[in-house]
Amino acid sequence: MTDGPGYHPMVRRLLDGELTLQDLPPELQSEGEAALRSILPRCAPPPVSFSPSFEQRVMAAVRSRPRPRPRNAWGWLGEVREIRLQLRPRLLALGVLAGIVLVALTSRLRSGSLAGTAAGGGTDSVYVRFVLYAPKVSSVALAGSFNEWDPTRTPLVPAGETGVWTVTLPLAPGQHTYAFVIDGQRWLPDPAAPAVDDGFGHHNSVMTVTATGGHTS
Amino acid sequence: MRAPVIALLLACGLAAPLRGQADTPIRLEGRVPPAVAEAVRAIADSVARAGLPVRPLFRKALEGGAKGVPADRIIAAVGTVASQLAQAAQALRSEHVARDPDAIEAGGYAINAGLSAGQVAELARGNRPPQAVAASLQSAGTLAALGVPPGQAVALVHEWISTGRSPDQVLLLPQQLQAAMARGASPAQAASGIARGEQPGASGNHPEPPSHAQDRSHRP
Repeated sequence: MTDGPGYHPMVRRLLDGELTLQDLPPELQSEGEAALRSILPRCAPPPVSFSPSFEQRVMAAVRSRPRPRPRNAWGWLGEVREIRLQLRPRLLALGVLAGIVLVALTSRLRSGSLAGTAAGGGTDSVYVRFVLYAPKVSSVALAGSFNEWDPTRTPLVPAGETGVWTVTLPLAPGQHTYAFVIDGQRWLPDPAAPAVDDGFGHHNSVMTVTATGGHTS
Repeated sequence: MRAPVIALLLACGLAAPLRGQADTPIRLEGRVPPAVAEAVRAIADSVARAGLPVRPLFRKALEGGAKGVPADRIIAAVGTVASQLAQAAQALRSEHVARDPDAIEAGGYAINAGLSAGQVAELARGNRPPQAVAASLQSAGTLAALGVPPGQAVALVHEWISTGRSPDQVLLLPQQLQAAMARGASPAQAASGIARGEQPGASGNHPEPPSHAQDRSHRP
């Protein structure tokens, strides 16, 4: 149970992840929101930022280092070198044909079932950090539409003994549904995100990732 | 003749995996009971023959399998998804987006959330670039899933599009709604407030949901 500064028992259950904001009665909504907001600084520290000259200094240091000489045949194979290509007419024609076949195939795939689900169709990803306050549990994982609902693929990492679990992953812009998996068994919707019916008698959380890296829901 | 042969082999070698992906969008083996996998493949075959996306079916099956849902309920849920995709495709056919798998999938999601096929068609009809039909449908669907009456959800998204809001603003309508609901408004009241231009976070202290935060854009 969370020890909050005199929080109502239902608000403490919200902080423990047992309830969502929507589960709280209207008179406790603002207290619940304030409680969630109070743990935000602990849960989501600001991202590390580098000075503009950082990349230049790193690249200057890399370029100043001598290029290692290959020691053996394997080293020679992996060495970066300039390659000159000279296409012959027959090979060029065959290459163009192969290109047309590939374009036709990939066009079919795009218009079929394999197209991405991100609204807007953009391919850029946005890094999203997920944080859950779940003390006294042994594991927390994330499962959702972005990882084929596989709870083994995206484990959250505990931040010491604080009870805070986090993971950061790149997601395509668009809408994603997900839930946390506690101790490999208990499925828990995100207490701070909109929840929708999952068709199995439970709820999933919905998150919106925007291409501009603005907000989530 | 060595070079043409190499080019041909390259083309075939690249094409084969692509064709393989088309046949098996998501692997079900080991993730759901064999009976579920068989039933889902049968449903997916007929859905694919109708030109509809099959990935949502596999995803729903995997979700059910991961959650330990009984086999018959998973199959029923997958059948429901298939039916909703078909309804969405039918509704979108007259709006010239029936071939867009994202729009069909989003239409199915919106129908599942409570929108009628007519409302899906209406939303697609009122859509205008740069807004993606799929994004409008997703947004309206989530508003409805959060409790906004479907007609009001459609009207709100319509209004946002017609007043030239950006695609991101339309996508983030559910977040605005959630913020207003957190202050005690009912879903319908919150939607009305947003339509009137009331900003739940106008005071500048609107909190980002604590459980996740976008860090920065990544351009691979």
